[in-house]
Parts: sequence; C-alpha cells; structure tokens
Amino acid sequence: MSDILVKTENLSKYFKVSGGRMLRAVENVTLEIRRGETLGLVGESGCGKSTLGRTMIGIYRPTKGKLIYNNQEMDLSSKKERFNFTKKAQIVFQDPYASLDPRMTVGSIIQEGMVIHGMYDAKRRKERMEELLDIVGLNREHGNRFPHEFSGGQRQRIGIARSLAIEPEFIVCDEPISALDVSIQAQIINLLHKLQEQMNLTYLFIAHDLNIVKYISDRIAVMYLGSVVELASSDNLYANTLHPYSRALLSAVPIPDPELEMNKKRQILTGDVPSPINRPKGCAFSSRCPLACDICRREEPVLREVFPDHFVACHLVEGK
Amino acid sequence: MGKRILDMENLRVSFDTYAGEVQAVRGVSLYVEEGEVLAIVGESGCGKSVTAQTIMKLNPMPPARIVSGNITLDGHDIVKASDNEMRKIRGRTVSMIFQDPMTCMNPTKQVGKQIVEAIKLHNHLSSAEARDQAIKCLEQVNIPNPLERSKQYPHEFSGGMRQRAMIAMALSCDPMLLIADEPTTALDVTIQAQIMDLLKEIQTKEKTAIILITHDLGVVAGIADRVAVMYAGKIVETGTIDQIFYHHRHPYTNALMRSLPSADATKKTDLISIPGTPPDLLSPPVGCGFAARCKHCMQICKEEDPPEFELEGKGHVAKCWLLHPDCPSAAERGDHNE
Repeated sequence: MSDILVKTENLSKYFKVSGGRMLRAVENVTLEIRRGETLGLVGESGCGKSTLGRTMIGIYRPTKGKLIYNNQEMDLSSKKERFNFTKKAQIVFQDPYASLDPRMTVGSIIQEGMVIHGMYDAKRRKERMEELLDIVGLNREHGNRFPHEFSGGQRQRIGIARSLAIEPEFIVCDEPISALDVSIQAQIINLLHKLQEQMNLTYLFIAHDLNIVKYISDRIAVMYLGSVVELASSDNLYANTLHPYSRALLSAVPIPDPELEMNKKRQILTGDVPSPINRPKGCAFSSRCPLACDICRREEPVLREVFPDHFVACHLVEGK
Repeated sequence: MGKRILDMENLRVSFDTYAGEVQAVRGVSLYVEEGEVLAIVGESGCGKSVTAQTIMKLNPMPPARIVSGNITLDGHDIVKASDNEMRKIRGRTVSMIFQDPMTCMNPTKQVGKQIVEAIKLHNHLSSAEARDQAIKCLEQVNIPNPLERSKQYPHEFSGGMRQRAMIAMALSCDPMLLIADEPTTALDVTIQAQIMDLLKEIQTKEKTAIILITHDLGVVAGIADRVAVMYAGKIVETGTIDQIFYHHRHPYTNALMRSLPSADATKKTDLISIPGTPPDLLSPPVGCGFAARCKHCMQICKEEDPPEFELEGKGHVAKCWLLHPDCPSAAERGDHNE
C-alpha cells in the first residue's frame, strides 16, 4: 500500500505583494500521498493549505522545489505537460456558487473537460454526462438546467461530477463541505467516500472542520503558516498528538456533547496567526507556543519521523 | 429560575417578494430568562436569523412583515413600538453581534469613535467620559493596548479582534439581552474558542442573557442552558441542553445529532445523512415541515401540523405526531427504522 502517487519535495510557493515583499504562502513542504488514500490537510485560514492543494495539481507553479507525480517530476513550466497533468488531477472547490459558470447548462459544465481533452464523440459524451449525473445522485434531466436552479448541496454534486468527467486519479477537495448545512454535509461525505471505493481515487482533503477530517482521512497533515508541522495517521494524530500547535488546534474543536465539552482539557492559544509576509524567525509557531524556548526562536525545526509513520516538526519533541 | 425578560408568542414573519409571500417564520414561541443562554439551532434558511432580527426589528419592512404574534421585551411591546421607541431599546435593552464584523462596522471611522457613538446615544456623558467608557469596554473584551487600538480603523484589526470590538460595542450600554447571530462562523477554531470563552465570561460576570444562533452543535454544547431546534420556520423541539442532547424526541433533532461523525466513527461506517432538502417556504407544506424527509412519516404528518407535546422533564416540548398518546408503536406502524 506504499505506492506513492503524488509527492512534493521542499515545495514552496511565494506571492509577490506590494512593496516588493514576498508572501510566503507555502514553505518547504515535503509530503507523500499514497495511491488510494485520503490525506487530510488541516490548519487555520491563511495557513497555505489551499495554495498547497492548488500547487499540487498545477494551478500554481511552485516557486521552489519539486512536484513528483507517479514517479515523474512534473515540469509545470511546460504548457503541454500542465495540460496533460490536468487530465489526471482535478479539484472540487469550496464555494459551489462561485465555481460553476452561471451561463452554462449543467450538461455543458460537466462535458467541458471532456471536450477540452478531446475525449469521445459528442454522443458518447452526452451519455457519459448522464451517467455522471446518476453517479452523483442527480437526475438525468438536470443536465438541461442552469446552476442557479440548484441548492448548495446539489451544486456541490455538480462540481464533483465535473471533476470526475475526465476520469482523474487524484482529486483535491478544497473545503468541499464548508459552505453546506450539517445534514447535507453528511450526504456529500458519503458520496465522496463511495466514489473513492468505486474508482480507486486518491484524495487530498482540505478542511478546517477537524471532526470531518478525522472521519474521512487515512492520514492527516497539520499546517501552520505555510509549513507542515505534524503528519500522522488519523488515529495516531488524535491519540498521540505531539506538536503543541496540533494539541491546541484539536483541543479548540468543540465537541457536540455537553458533558464531554464541559470536562475536556483545553489549551487556548493567545493572539493571532502572524502574517506570512513576516514569518517569525526560527519556528513559525514560536510566537504563540506556550512551550517556546531559545532554540525555537533561533532555528527552524524540520519535519522528522519520531515514531513510525508519525512526523513532527518541533525541537521539543523527543522521539523513539 | 429568574424572571422572563423576553417573551415571544406565535410570531409569524413573512417577506413579500415578486415570487410571492415567503413565510420565513411560521409561529414561533420562545422565552428567555434573566442571565441564561438560549441557543437556536437549525440549517440555513430555517428562519433562525429572521426570528432574532425581529426582536430588534432590524429586518427592513417592507419587504418583511410581522403577520401576527407578540414580542414582549422587558415590558416593551416590540411589535407595536414606533421607530423612535425602537431606537431607545436597541443597544440599551438588547443588542446584537453578527457573523461578519467587517460588514457591520463603519470602515471609515475609528473603532473607539464608533463605540462612543453608541454610548452617547444612550447616556448623558461628556465626550471625554464617553471615550473613557469606550476604552473600558475594549479592555473588558481583552483587547490589548485598548487606548491605541481605539484609534485604529476596523481594517487594522484581525478577524478575532474585530469580533471582540463588536462585542465591546454591543455591551457598551449594558444590555439585558445580547443576540449573537453565528458569532464564530467566520472564525478559525482557535479564535472561536477564545470568543466563546469571552461570551461565557460576560454571561457569568455581567449576568447578560444571550440568544446564540448557530448551526454548530459543538458550540452549543459548550455554552447553552437551553436549546431550541428550528426547522422550516418553526421550533420543533425545545428543552434544556441535557434534554436536547441526550433525550431528544423529535426525528429532526435526532437526525441532526446523528449526521455528525462521532468520536469513534471510522470510514467504514457511513454517516447518517438526512435525504432531500428543506421545504420551500414560498409554499410551505400543509402538515409537518419535516414530513417529506422524515423516515417515520405517517399519514397525519402530511395532513395536519403537529401541536406541541409536553414531555417528561420540565420545559421539554416537541412538535411531532409520534409523541401523541394515541400514536401506535413503531411495530404497529410497520416502522423498522427505530
């Protein structure tokens, strides 16, 4: 099961901002996603998780580092290679209202990818569009309608159908359920899960709802200010949380059970996330970390394996 | 128990639109006692925000219209109150904080000045006194360097700080009731925890009653005394936090609780989802609003709206025909879903 589909090596993505400064959205990320697994990516807003997801499917070109797909280094500066890569890697966006063209019918939205990649003839494309509507739980007649006629949950299903149309292997789910109501969230999660089993898809699942991420992911990466601070299997991360930031993050998640919620131990962080334009020196979390000492402010910790398959980037964590 | 400061009876609010009358709130009765936290939970479009806004008459009329019902807030009749009277009640007796603090503050005005504005409207204070008061308010919500911060503009504040400033503004005139409409939805979990702690602190220290509107049951579990569950413009179940979380009787409350992944859930078990979508309030269903999505639905559910049934345990009520004393048991109905 250690067949690696996507891999990043020291991947960084910077954006230029006014005043000639650099916004370091993603900094030195080394990650592996195994074929058929779901890797959860969590962190607060602005920590670079969406940028990382987008860089991993070639929407953004990395500033530094490598993106390796299926054991092949991707050269994202080549237009042709980028084009071929989009056939394998797709994305489902957070906002089902903004991510569908309001002037296209649902049918043409779903078929567009197949047209661009020259897949099938028109008749087969239409058939496939109808199959996809079936797969995601919509009616075939819905293909003739426009996005505004659908509810949020239904639109998210359309977005999923669109991303599946060209039979990708790897899908980045960028907060696919954050804009939906609780009862609808469960429908979409079940759908994503079913599709993964049927088509052997690999997911990068970005979210800030930690309960959902824990439920759907095999492994989870926690990000803070552009870097991955902890990476472990979903059970291990919860049972044996090592990084102080992960601990604070997990303890801040409210539990929908009054007794557990009242009695749980919490660690409330003070202050806000620093700006990625001036990252603190040393460990990015040192400005808010309750345990920070001298070395944390001086040297940036690297992500290392402290237990089998449990990685953490913190000076203070003692390994095996 | 304390005295009731808010009493709402059978409130109906409609919006007149080109498509017809949207019945956003269809007969809501609730009360709030001194110093307690009432949480209103429900999905988007269920009428929870409209209910709360009507208490302060913040929804523009027209298109909104109070069709019927009574709201009594600390002796004032809100439904009949004139604009002038409302202006005195807002801020003084009841105030509100919103989901997105950026859109609720004046971006061209210093934060301190905006708070001073509210204070001077309700108190006869000199400008200097009002300014001191405003700084005290900012200090109360744990904003560091309140003096310097009060001279900054909203865009210079981070999301969490802005929400704190909003709370400071809302509390500046010491209201009896604070309505918090999804106060943490736009915030990250670590900041959410800070803000919820602040609200809890205010409630215990200042004895301010809070109506918390949210869709996040986790947030509710941490702070509420009582919970009202809304669906399609109606309250379907009300009770204390223990009654709602551990002894709920309405199928919608049950479905809502079960659609969340439990702590030990794994991918092998499917989440329990509620099929379908909420009804369109342009033409609300005749019977129970939840009937179309309910797996225990009976004939009567589609024909007649269920009344309130009182349950064991004080103050626990639910609107569901299954709770009628003459309702046949699950086995008799041939219902194998229980």
